[in-house]
Amino acid sequence: MKDAPEKTPPLDSPGIIRLQPKLSRAERGVKFFFLLCAVSALGSMFLIMIFLFMEAGGLFFSGDEGAGVGLKEFFLSLDWYPTYPDPSFGSLALVLGSLSVTLVSILLATPFGIGLAIYLSSVAGPRVREWLKPAVELLASIPSVILGFVGMVAVAPFMQNVLNLPTGLNVLNASLFLAIMATPTIASLGDDALSAVSQAVTDGSYALGATRWETISRVILPASLSGLSTAVILGLGRALGETIVVLMVAGGAAQAPHSLFDPVRPLTSTLAAEMGETAIGSRHYHALFALGAVLFVLTLAFNLLAFYLARRWREKS
Amino acid sequence: MVEDSVIISARNVDFYYGDFQALKNINIDILRDEVTAMIGPSGCGKSTFLKLLNRMNDFVPGARLSGEIFIGGESIYAPEADPVVIRRRVGMVFQRPNPFAKSIYDNICYGPRLVGVKKPKELDELTEKALRAAALWEEVKDKLGKSALELSGGQQQRVCIARALALEPDILLMDEPTSALDPIATAKVEEWIKDSGLSIVIVTHNMQQAARISDKTAYFFLGELIEFGPTKELFTRPKEVKTENYITGRFG
Ligand SMILES: Nc1ncnc2c1ncn2[C@@H]1O[C@H](COP(=O)(O)OP(=O)(O)OP(=O)(O)O)[C@@H](O)[C@H]1O
Ligand SMILES: [Mg+2]
Repeated sequence: MKDAPEKTPPLDSPGIIRLQPKLSRAERGVKFFFLLCAVSALGSMFLIMIFLFMEAGGLFFSGDEGAGVGLKEFFLSLDWYPTYPDPSFGSLALVLGSLSVTLVSILLATPFGIGLAIYLSSVAGPRVREWLKPAVELLASIPSVILGFVGMVAVAPFMQNVLNLPTGLNVLNASLFLAIMATPTIASLGDDALSAVSQAVTDGSYALGATRWETISRVILPASLSGLSTAVILGLGRALGETIVVLMVAGGAAQAPHSLFDPVRPLTSTLAAEMGETAIGSRHYHALFALGAVLFVLTLAFNLLAFYLARRWREKS
Repeated sequence: MVEDSVIISARNVDFYYGDFQALKNINIDILRDEVTAMIGPSGCGKSTFLKLLNRMNDFVPGARLSGEIFIGGESIYAPEADPVVIRRRVGMVFQRPNPFAKSIYDNICYGPRLVGVKKPKELDELTEKALRAAALWEEVKDKLGKSALELSGGQQQRVCIARALALEPDILLMDEPTSALDPIATAKVEEWIKDSGLSIVIVTHNMQQAARISDKTAYFFLGELIEFGPTKELFTRPKEVKTENYITGRFG
């Protein structure tokens, strides 16, 4: 066995022919075209990323407006006063704003989404499922500006009156609408995960005298746990990146929320609201890019987590 | 009395999937503690009949039945019959091993836990008993915590047998239990069937297997029960021409 490598001739030695499909001129052209598409898509993403981080970096180096902002101030300060004569660029309140609406929305959307997924995959008959699943997915296609509008003109005044609040534009209101947006994602992906549990295995459970609910809770749910967590995390990513709804109904106050009824200013709405009003190259401009970079890293982290869980799930089954 | 030894009996059973009649006027008496083999060409209704015995066809949309099936003297399709209770008394092993994605131990305890067995000691004992009965104990006793999915196909199938046995069923239904197994694993499962002493109804495509392990054999053809009798007689002196054609390979 030891001398086996010596018997294998090197792959590029004379007499070795590399086998590959023979492509016509046209096929080679097509191949080149698709390669170009792939490269340009990846390349432009990469360039955007570089641009984002370079512009973000500008915040931390000294420039026309004096010394750069310290990393400590940017990450740990709650004060976001970019337009004051003595401005401060703390991102923490905005990050907390984003995380608070995201987490609350996920707490609201997860039970609904998973419940709907269970209903679709294991309870509803084929006929109900046939129209309900597309209907749920269609819910995801409602333009978010419409949801934001409803939140603004209907839910906010209602909340304000009923709960006697200073403003109905707050964490809870924003989370509600983010939850509405995340639910279809969770339900649809969750249904895929639950449906992937094979009929053979559920039959095995029924044949041992399990009821439907026992089968769902003891076999189907445990077997699809990582698929379900992937669904939830992707729903979370959707809520985190959503801009219009939070711009319209989160209230816009850059402060750390202390209750569900405090208004907040998430990263996305800050970017959308302020980018148009800053001078290119100004400190404020760089600070917004830095916020963008933070958002990008958070989103990436969630997606990597989802990716990791999905892979573990596939390995297990 | 002869009547006492009958454990399953079907009376004038017609079964339909929607408009398609899959079983035609089946009448059969299956005896306690015997191994009964069901043979016949693909699509003749063997699995359908087997699944009627533990009401697994309840899940098929549009399934309809007429006639009666008695198990231990009770009509299992009577309005007051509870399919969950029936399935505990009539265990089933499927064509492909289908263990749960849980440890070997949790697979075996699945059924007992459903009926409320909680004490660890009781569960331990019952696991050992079921695994011994399925001739798997020696191979897995040191790794009961390991996922059942990490076992070989033959071991998985015996986990499924043990899982069914843990409920101490009166009857075990097996639908081509060895068709996904290699010859060695098949031999182990066959050996187990012969020695189990249980009432077993087994569907098989392998006529040698039917001959090796069963006391009685039933030959199905196009939804009808053509012939049913002692295995030896059926294979050496079949009464029906259709049976003879099938077992001698002149079928079709
Ligand atoms: N769920 C179903 N819906 C409609 N028809 C079905 C269904 N299951 C089985 N059938 C039909 O009923 C007939 C009997 O099927 P069954 O599965 O009982 O055959 P079988 O004897 O077990 O065959 P095999 O040896 O291939 O497993 C076949 O014609 C089949 O097409
Ligand atoms: Mg079959």
